[in-house]
Amino acid sequence: MKNAVAMQQSIGRRDRAPVVSKLILALVFVLGLVVIYMGYTGMREYGASGFSAESAYSAIHALGGDTAAAWQKKLQPQLDALSADRRAAVDQAAAELLTAAWENQKAGGAADAQAMLDAGDGETAWKLLYATYLVNGPKVSTAIKKELAALSGSELAETRVGLLNCIADESAALPKAAEAAAGGLTGSERTAMLTQLLFVANGSAEATDQVNVLKKGVRDKAAQLDAFRMIAGNEVSWVFQLVVSNSRTAILVGIILALDALLLTLLMMGDKTWIIDFKWIIILLIVDFLLLFQLMPLIYMVIKAFFPESSFSLETFKRLYTYPLNLDALKNTLIAAFATMILGTLLAFPLAWLVGRTNLYGKKFFRALFVLTYMVPPYVGAMAWLRLLNPNVGTINQWLRALLGLSDAPGPLNVYTLPGMIWVLTSFYYPYAFITISRAMEKMDPSLEEASRISGGSPLKTLFTVTLPMMMPSLISGALLVFVSAASCYGIPSIIGSPGRVHTVTTRIVEYVSLGQQALNDATGMAVFLMVMAVIILFISDVVLAKRQYITVSGKSVRPAIVDLRAWRVPLTVIVGIFAVIMIFIPFATIFATSFKIDIGKTMFAENNFTLINWTTVFGRTETMNCLKNSLVYASVTATVGIVIACTMSYLLQRTRIRGRKIPDFLITLGSGTPSVVIALGLIMTMKGNFGINIYNTAYIMIIAYTIKYLMMGMRTVVSAMSQIHVSLEECSQVSGASWLRTMFKITGPLIFPSIAAGWFLIFIPSFYELSMTTLLYSSTTKTIGFQLYEYWTFTSQPMSCAMAFGILLIVVFLNFVLNRLTKGEFSI
Amino acid sequence: MATVTIKHVTKAFGDNVVLKEFNETFGDGEFITLLGPSGCGKTTMLRIIAGFEKPTSGELYIDDQLVSGGKTFIPPEKRSIGMVFQSYAVWPHMNVYDNVAYPLTIKKTPKAEIRKHVERVLEIVHLSQYAERFPNQLSGGQQQRVALARALVAAPKLLLLDEPLSNLDAKLRESMRFEIKEIQRQLGITVVYVTHDQTEAMAMSDRIFLINRGVVQQCGTPEQIYNEPANQFVADFLGKVDFFKGVSANGRISLTGMNGQSIAYDGPRTGKVEVAVRPEKLYFSPDGVLEGVLESQYYLGDVDDCRVRVGDVLVRVIANGYEYKSLHVGQKVRLGIRDIMVFEDDGSLEQMLKIQT
Ligand SMILES: Nc1ncnc2c1ncn2[C@@H]1O[C@H](COP(=O)(O)OP(=O)(O)O)[C@@H](O)[C@H]1O
Ligand SMILES: [Mg+2]
Repeated sequence: MKNAVAMQQSIGRRDRAPVVSKLILALVFVLGLVVIYMGYTGMREYGASGFSAESAYSAIHALGGDTAAAWQKKLQPQLDALSADRRAAVDQAAAELLTAAWENQKAGGAADAQAMLDAGDGETAWKLLYATYLVNGPKVSTAIKKELAALSGSELAETRVGLLNCIADESAALPKAAEAAAGGLTGSERTAMLTQLLFVANGSAEATDQVNVLKKGVRDKAAQLDAFRMIAGNEVSWVFQLVVSNSRTAILVGIILALDALLLTLLMMGDKTWIIDFKWIIILLIVDFLLLFQLMPLIYMVIKAFFPESSFSLETFKRLYTYPLNLDALKNTLIAAFATMILGTLLAFPLAWLVGRTNLYGKKFFRALFVLTYMVPPYVGAMAWLRLLNPNVGTINQWLRALLGLSDAPGPLNVYTLPGMIWVLTSFYYPYAFITISRAMEKMDPSLEEASRISGGSPLKTLFTVTLPMMMPSLISGALLVFVSAASCYGIPSIIGSPGRVHTVTTRIVEYVSLGQQALNDATGMAVFLMVMAVIILFISDVVLAKRQYITVSGKSVRPAIVDLRAWRVPLTVIVGIFAVIMIFIPFATIFATSFKIDIGKTMFAENNFTLINWTTVFGRTETMNCLKNSLVYASVTATVGIVIACTMSYLLQRTRIRGRKIPDFLITLGSGTPSVVIALGLIMTMKGNFGINIYNTAYIMIIAYTIKYLMMGMRTVVSAMSQIHVSLEECSQVSGASWLRTMFKITGPLIFPSIAAGWFLIFIPSFYELSMTTLLYSSTTKTIGFQLYEYWTFTSQPMSCAMAFGILLIVVFLNFVLNRLTKGEFSI
Repeated sequence: MATVTIKHVTKAFGDNVVLKEFNETFGDGEFITLLGPSGCGKTTMLRIIAGFEKPTSGELYIDDQLVSGGKTFIPPEKRSIGMVFQSYAVWPHMNVYDNVAYPLTIKKTPKAEIRKHVERVLEIVHLSQYAERFPNQLSGGQQQRVALARALVAAPKLLLLDEPLSNLDAKLRESMRFEIKEIQRQLGITVVYVTHDQTEAMAMSDRIFLINRGVVQQCGTPEQIYNEPANQFVADFLGKVDFFKGVSANGRISLTGMNGQSIAYDGPRTGKVEVAVRPEKLYFSPDGVLEGVLESQYYLGDVDDCRVRVGDVLVRVIANGYEYKSLHVGQKVRLGIRDIMVFEDDGSLEQMLKIQT
């Protein structure tokens, strides 16, 4: 009876549904278009008014009360102290810098800047530059900040004068503190860096407060309006002001609304019933999140790179890639990634074969060991190898010198070189290939090889005519994964490359970002290169190779044919053992030992060289504890948000035929394939208020970045677990009268719980020790343990950072243990 | 062309003994079938012959040459054997021609000769027009024939087949049965064929080796195995059979639980026995030896599958389909017996019929 009524109602709804749905969709779509049009009008009006958002933005701060005070206290006296001709030269340099920067921001920016400079006095350019610096925060690398902070008052004063001299005169000798930062630079890049250094040298605790005050001021409409009036020199109506300051937001909101309506229409057109399914709303929510925080920043970056002046131009690229430093970086990145790929695959293939398909002694142990490297933060590996291969005090160099009877001159090995970097990259990334290859090897039907043997092929012949060709798609996939990971790695090049001046694309991007607002466009040009490369490779391995995949990853377990190594069994075990000792044991032991040393040049057991002070100092500091807390909180939130999305997506992908479920899946795959540095850069450029969302310098921006990068790890785990549970189990429960929710909680939930836990940890662990994105996104209150470690390594002391690194390792190993327990041994990394 | 002599071969994986004391000779040109339930060790035996497993103890000779045993071990590639795997193992990265040509390419046979041989075997397996195709463009049955062609192309003296038909559908399976048999007859090679399907074994084999739990239960021609099973397991595994307990004395067996009814028996066994009767060897007849009541009847078209209650025991009878109309449930019937098999009742029936997997 009740059913009949419900049915009637639903039939009634069915009749009306198409009309209502179509109406809603059309309405949303039109609304979107209207909002876009409004935003567009705002932009146009704004452009016509003769000043850019960026110029107004900077000017506000130049005019803020606190800024003015700081300005008068700091830079003004320094400028005033200069001789007249020097003063003219630095003003000229500042004016050029400002003009170049604004030209970068917007077409006709140079003219705007010129107009303002003409209207103001010599100080105008400085004020605007200084304000920009304050708003963007000191993005000079922390190494240099540290160096400057260590100077005494008089040294600092001297440095400032020196910097101003250098700005005025390109041939002047750099102050000592600026050598590392500006050493290799020329032209406007040099000026930009020197200016930044000057601002940093003027920096103090009060600057942070000012920045905060100013940032609030940016959002404060009244202050903005004031600024507009003062700069433009005429009255501005409030409507105009509102549209102007929100034009980009309006366009963005409009685009999302229109896209959602369009997408939903497409989905419903295929469905024909025209009833809005609740699942579509969920899909749209996920898609919107990804559109906003993942796709939009990427697209914005590409647009910025190709349309630096709102018309198509390859100028950015021409400028970037004719600059020798960048050209070097590009070359280094390609060489390093390629060499790492070749070396890594050459290591991984035989290892995977020995461990998976022969009777090597202790192969289970070795397998676990190689996979273990996967969960070690790359920079920890880099630190270990630095300790071992430092040309002066590197342990291996010391041994070699003693062994070969060489003099105490540095060497013979030097990690601060391209080959050194390649070696470290290889030692960290070969497990990626190892895991891909050994998984495929274990899934391969052994009778394919046996068929070759019985046809008369020797084991070696079989390896080359059957095993290798069959493995080729997986082999190439693994190799490409190594290539892309090595090319987009930041941790290793930043620790090894920077001191050795081996630049890579990622370190250049971070440097450009640290130069502040005006260099962001240049960073974009570099990032687009990385991104295009990553997308191409993602396409090759996910689409092209997947079609040629001979080895179907089915649930069917095969008993791989085990090759008897016979006489080679012992020697090969010894070789693999030595490899493991060199690649895994020695680096970790080094980190461990170093953390107890006073003098890192001597052994831990040398007289008076053993200490616990590194551990007590590092873990006794509240700052460390704060960073640790930040990391734990951010990683937990990321993992939880991630796993909720992952479970939703798994359900949609595995249990529904709903149209459009592949769209978020595609976006998530794309996100995880995008290099970290690129994700972070995109967020920096779009999430600081210019599109209405200002989460710059907050924890949110970091959590969002982590989610985009690591979501897929969790999703894949849950999806594959759900695909193993046959639908009939759920249907059986529902037939027995359990509700959908009850079924999910009582049947599906418990069955896939281990995978959900595993997925959670797979997102948690990399987020916990993340460095590349954090370097670009952190603020003084949102530092993480990974970044803290990086700072310790670069500025404080190596033994202390080793203590911290070992602490991080212990936490990761412990988490892995928890995961193993929680999932009854089914999962561990 | 080749004989295979297996002497005292035992195979264990760790503590798990999967073959016990295998002692047989496969004659030249014979079609031998290893038959048994899944997990009984058939594949293991085949893999020992091929050289993919080493026997734990014992010796294996091919044509009087020791190939496995003691310190001697000749690897598979040197044994000149053709083999068809259960999964076909057709290489997906080579087309049909290259797959089939592979054994000859390895031998460095001249190109022209390879072409001749490959074309000939493709002809035999009816795949001539598919030479350029890749395996993923072929059906299961076609892949299976590629595997067969590859196994045959180098003219091996011995052909091993591991459940080659088990992944095919029923119709195809039946026609392939005869094709394989036909090819073997044409080429005159020795074939060792593994299957768990008794009909397949009966239809194709010169001799069947019935294996259970790693032990050969009986070997013989299909007729011998079917009609003169060596023990209850063999009787049970091939065809349908019912077991009845009874006591044999003075040329008669009185059947337990059948109201003291007895049947004539002129065999040698006395005392407690087990009588095995195949349901198709019972028939309805007014002057049958057993009396009972027809309890149920299932009409299957060609036959009429009936259950008759004799005393406390249910007896299955497979009668001719055309008798169906003349019978009705509840009716008193008499059963005639064409043939019985009598085994000693040592209480091991349960144990023996248990299949280890
Ligand atoms: N490589 C191996 N390691 C351990 N046990 C095995 C191995 N190969 C087969 N077995 C075991 O030996 C027994 C016989 O297997 P097999 O010869 O494949 O049986 P089948 O008669 O079904 O072909 C099974 O119990 C199987 O689990
Ligand atoms: Mg088998």
